Amino acid sequence: MRVLLVEDDPMIGSVVQGALRDASYAADWVRDGEAALTALRTLEYELVLLDLNLPRIDGMAVLHTIRRARNDVPVLVLTAREATEDRVAGLDGGADDYLVKPFAMSELLARMRALTRRKEGTTSTVLGNGIVELDPATHEARVGAVTVRLTAREFPLLQALLARPGAILSRSELENRVYGWNEEVESNAIEFLIH
Amino acid sequence: MDGREGPLTASLRFRLSLWISTAILVGAAIAGVYSYVAATDDAHRNQDTQLRQVGYLISRLDAVPTSPMARERVGDVDFDARLVVRFIDAPGARLPHPERAPYFSSTLPDGLQTVAIGRETWRVFVRTNAKGVRVAVAQQTAVRDAAARSSALRTVMPILFLGPVLVLLAALLVRAMFLPLQRLAAQLRARREHDLGELERAELPSEVWPFVAEINKLMARTVRALTLQRRFIADAAHELRSPMTAMSLQAERLAASDMPGEARERLEALSAGLSRTRVLLDQLLTLARTQESPVDQPTRVPLKKAIQECLEDLVPLAEAKAIDLGVVGDADPLVAGRPVDIRILVKNLVDNAIRYTPEGGRVDISVAEANGRVTLDVDDTGAGIPPEERERVFDPFYRVLGSGEIGSGLGLAITLSIANQVGAAISLLEKPDGTHGLRARVVFPGC
Repeated sequence: MRVLLVEDDPMIGSVVQGALRDASYAADWVRDGEAALTALRTLEYELVLLDLNLPRIDGMAVLHTIRRARNDVPVLVLTAREATEDRVAGLDGGADDYLVKPFAMSELLARMRALTRRKEGTTSTVLGNGIVELDPATHEARVGAVTVRLTAREFPLLQALLARPGAILSRSELENRVYGWNEEVESNAIEFLIH
Repeated sequence: MDGREGPLTASLRFRLSLWISTAILVGAAIAGVYSYVAATDDAHRNQDTQLRQVGYLISRLDAVPTSPMARERVGDVDFDARLVVRFIDAPGARLPHPERAPYFSSTLPDGLQTVAIGRETWRVFVRTNAKGVRVAVAQQTAVRDAAARSSALRTVMPILFLGPVLVLLAALLVRAMFLPLQRLAAQLRARREHDLGELERAELPSEVWPFVAEINKLMARTVRALTLQRRFIADAAHELRSPMTAMSLQAERLAASDMPGEARERLEALSAGLSRTRVLLDQLLTLARTQESPVDQPTRVPLKKAIQECLEDLVPLAEAKAIDLGVVGDADPLVAGRPVDIRILVKNLVDNAIRYTPEGGRVDISVAEANGRVTLDVDDTGAGIPPEERERVFDPFYRVLGSGEIGSGLGLAITLSIANQVGAAISLLEKPDGTHGLRARVVFPGC
């Protein structure tokens, strides 16, 4: 799944991006509001992690711009501002969830999964098409009685395919969901995996 | 200003009273002396006038009367105050020798004079008329002196009486004038230490206004300095959040990777350290927030609800130590303050009670409402706090020695700060039934 991480602090940004990649997300990291809007205009993301204290364009302004453009990508606000007024402003401004620093990575990932479930319109925590079941939390796929833990490349691919059953995804769309910007696309990796 | 009346005030009042009294007494003395002298002078003049008038009258006679003068006593006139008339010389006349004293010699000159005859002193007026008849009219000086004295005393008496009265009055007035200053001193003495509000100058004498203005400015400067300090602490704690977040996430990520058991143990210790630091940061930020000036419009918070909410969080902790945690009483009063702050206040007290009570103990929370005040008591069966330390436990980072508990050390400081903000009073007491343990009592003002 492709997510956009907007965070100006280099240490936090680097560890969160790393942790997201560990969790098999294709995570793109930008450090200011302007770059965030540019990225959102260029590519389709399935989730945005937005820090509010950003240089160039402030996080709340980015949020408002996203919503005004009728982009309904799920946005999870990450911030050090914990006061009730700030939370209310963030949620009413169009954020889907609000997480205060410091947070635990596990909680962030769980909330991201929750947002994705909402987006996809399912309440079931497990993706499936009747034959294959995929648990996003554990990255385990099950067919019948056999359970397999998927790799960092296999999981997002299967997830992308199962997310909208019946839909057809092009190769480049699949590549977008599996690879971040800085990751080399191995040319036949997708075909290999599909096979 | 210290607790005693400063020596300055006493001496100023004393000096004022002293000098005013002295002035009054000196004035009274001068007035007294003057009226005495004036009265005496008057009496003398009166006597002389009388003698002269009678003298002129009698010297109109052409010749010396040959029959003796009347010697009847006149009804109510004092014998010693009588006027004596003598003819002392006349050309060609044979003067009858007076049968009784006083005898005035013919060598006396004309006019007024004072003559001593025998044991008495007489004031005499001698006149020689056109025919050469000489008459002397006299009255004892003792008379006039007595008159003078009594008249003088009559004038001096009120002054003598008034003197001490005025002195007393002056002293009382001075005292009354200084009362506003004493009230001001008492007001300042009664202020709580975080109260740096302005002084009212309305009742004070205008001479003191410049002082009051300067004191108010000084307090404003102090408030500003304190605010800057607190904001710095708040900002510092806030700044620390980002590196803390990064470190926690990095530790979490590290924990997710493969490592030998030994490394994992060490990592767990590191994570625990980070967790403790996070808690401390949160507490610092809470403390900074509660130390800000009071909320303009605090809401009314149902106390029972706040207690229930914090119980939800703390029941697991209590159960882990097999502590019986309970609420006593049905009262459900409202207290003023922010809901989140009241929750923190209650939670800190109950949390402390649980922590410092050994396993199997009891913690009771009770709420009572009386006289418009709400009293919250948290009783535990722990070791209690020695009386000499009960003030100091509210200091930031103070921990009772030997308790073996790890906390941020800020819990009670935050609790005290919130209590101050909402106008409540906190105290640590013995339990009423005398058993060992501590009672933490918070008395909220009416709402």
